[in-house]
Amino acid sequence: MADSTSVREPILAVENVSKGFNAVGPRILSGMTFRQEPGQFVAVVGPSGCGKTTLLRCIASLMQPDEGEVLHRGQHFDDPPSWLSIVFQDYNRSLFPWLSVRQNVAFGLRGVDARDERIMKALQAVNLDHAADLYPWQLSGGMQQRCALARSIVVKPHLLLLDEPFASVDAQTRIDLQDMVMDICRDMALSTLLVTHDIDEAVFMADKVVVLSTRPARVVEEIAIDLPRPRDQLATKESPEFLRLRHHVYTLVRQQAQRLPRED
Amino acid sequence: MTKRAANAAKGIAGIAVTVALWEAARALGVVDPRDLPSTAAIIRAAAEGLWGGELARAVAATIGSWTPGLLLAALAGAAGGIALALLPRLEIATRPVLEFLRPIPSVALIPVALLVLGVGLEMQLFMIAFASIWPILFSTKTGVEGVDPRFMETGRVLHLGPSARIVRIVLPAALPSFATGLRTASAIALVVAITVEMLTGQAGIGSYIENVRLNGLITEMWAAIFVTGVLGYLINTLFVTVERAVMPWSPENRDR
Amino acid sequence: MTVKGHQIAPLAWQAATVVALVALWQWAALTHPAVYLPPIGRVVDGYIRLWHGDLLANALLPSLYRLATGLLAAIVIGCAAGIALGSLRWLDPWVRPTLEYLRFIPAVAILPAALLVFGPTDQMRIFVIAFGSVFPVLLAATDGARRVDPILLDVARVSGLSTIERLIRVVLPAALPSVFSGVRVALSIALVMMVISELIAADDGLGFYILRNQRLFQTANVYAGVLTIGTIGLVLTLALLAIEKRVLAWHRGWRGLTETNRG
Repeated sequence: MADSTSVREPILAVENVSKGFNAVGPRILSGMTFRQEPGQFVAVVGPSGCGKTTLLRCIASLMQPDEGEVLHRGQHFDDPPSWLSIVFQDYNRSLFPWLSVRQNVAFGLRGVDARDERIMKALQAVNLDHAADLYPWQLSGGMQQRCALARSIVVKPHLLLLDEPFASVDAQTRIDLQDMVMDICRDMALSTLLVTHDIDEAVFMADKVVVLSTRPARVVEEIAIDLPRPRDQLATKESPEFLRLRHHVYTLVRQQAQRLPRED
Repeated sequence: MTKRAANAAKGIAGIAVTVALWEAARALGVVDPRDLPSTAAIIRAAAEGLWGGELARAVAATIGSWTPGLLLAALAGAAGGIALALLPRLEIATRPVLEFLRPIPSVALIPVALLVLGVGLEMQLFMIAFASIWPILFSTKTGVEGVDPRFMETGRVLHLGPSARIVRIVLPAALPSFATGLRTASAIALVVAITVEMLTGQAGIGSYIENVRLNGLITEMWAAIFVTGVLGYLINTLFVTVERAVMPWSPENRDR
Repeated sequence: MTVKGHQIAPLAWQAATVVALVALWQWAALTHPAVYLPPIGRVVDGYIRLWHGDLLANALLPSLYRLATGLLAAIVIGCAAGIALGSLRWLDPWVRPTLEYLRFIPAVAILPAALLVFGPTDQMRIFVIAFGSVFPVLLAATDGARRVDPILLDVARVSGLSTIERLIRVVLPAALPSVFSGVRVALSIALVMMVISELIAADDGLGFYILRNQRLFQTANVYAGVLTIGTIGLVLTLALLAIEKRVLAWHRGWRGLTETNRG
């Protein structure tokens, strides 16, 4: 459940973050700044190779920026905070192959009451309750990603990070997973940050789209997506407002993709 | 400081820590200090023993039996491995015998060798060769079997006769496997050589170590053990170096 | 289990070869008796006796005990050290030269030193067995730990695992397939060191049994002892394979999956 603090701190504040391959040399990220409010669904898009994954790792506190800072609810963290969860792109590399679905989901739950119930609820939310005792190698790609999703929501996070989670699944599965993620985020009142290269997906799912430039990446524009919720794969995607927003984002990204990376 | 220099320094520091632990064990009486001479004394005894001393003669004797034994095993093992790989009937017929002998550690046959051949160089050479043949035999066999069939087809397309195909395609392709088997065997050969020397008093490192131990020359004993470790390391380095020089194209040597 | 037609010919060849060799031996033993050529019957007798009563207690069990203890110690130490070394990369340059030297010491050369420090005890023999067999396990564990998928380590970090928890709950299972291949090698080395330690410095066990019978020219018993050692080796290898099959069932399925995805 989202925390309601008296002072509404952004759940995530990226302040002037810069990051390179090493301390000196070309920057991957440069002067990156944006904020995410609690309960918001933010999508980050940009041209290929612009550094989206690096940004995500800094946001997750898996990496520390060279300059600037990443604040979660106004605080700095050296390691991923316990209320942050992340779903990685390569689902078949992020599940532990020696653990069953149930055990994978249970992995991060320590010292928790009503463990089995929580695990079951998470599995039901992703429709894997019937596959609880299967092993990752016995699952399809979509099922594996759902297992990874269940693992990240079972800990009841406040901020959920998704790193191009649907890039490696087929189109039909992608649609189902998008709907599933939006349902879960709504039901659990999560703040969600989705990194994606799919512009349709970004506009369809998010409350705000952050467009990045080419490397060294900074924020080009933040676009508010005021489309009504709940969103529908057919109706929303045909609405004129969706098309206008999509066109706008697409144009921005195209412009960025056509520029050469700058050496800052 | 460059990375390499830093790593070398760390390695040396690690060795220094090991030496310090050794000296600490002596000082604290964890082991009786008479049983654990100082590292300085051991190094000195090693240098003295090697500089035209008994230890040098012992090492030479061991190498003098290790070399012919290993050579014999290399020839017999390679020939046998190639034969088994190329003659399926032979492989099938001998399979039960080989699978029967396989789980038996060769050193267990030392008493049998003593019965048949008695004590002496013959028996030692036989044991070294017998123990070393197995890794070479099986590695070579696997190596020949694993030769990409497309190589053989290429040979036929280029009109090479069967014996030419074996010599010019199969052997070079199987060489890396043979080399690995030979390297494994070289370590086994050293162990067996020393074991026979300890057991039968045959001249060499094994009997030297036993002699000095029984005569209470503890420092010399540790010095000999230290030198034997160096010998084992050098033998392995020798084989690895030769392999890299002869087979730079082999997958193990490629990414260097 | 039905035997198909084309399987009969090779089986027949194998059976024929075995029968011929056994017959040859027996004929030679009876017509040209020699010290080292006992009739097969006596060898079989000696073999059976080793698995009963007195000999079981004095020869077989002590050997088995030393082998098991030494090997187990080697596995535990090798795994723990290897996992640590493979995961904590900064350790590597400090430890590498020392390890590279120690691993090439022919284990038999350690025996006289062990004899000096521990005396002619089981501790000494177990130490020698463990010293010889620890390195294959250590090297395999290090290699396995190095190759753990970094994403799994990221998942561990995000899940808030401490370093020790990460090593035990993620690195160890991931390295297990590699560890098992190291253990297979360690088993054969342990068997060799068990025999060597009992040939040179023991007053019971199978190695001592064969040596004593050789000195008494009781050849049938020598062969029986050798066969018993071989049997132990075979049984333990099969047991290890069975355990591996069970414990690494997930690995076979996983590898099959990733290999079909390739290409």
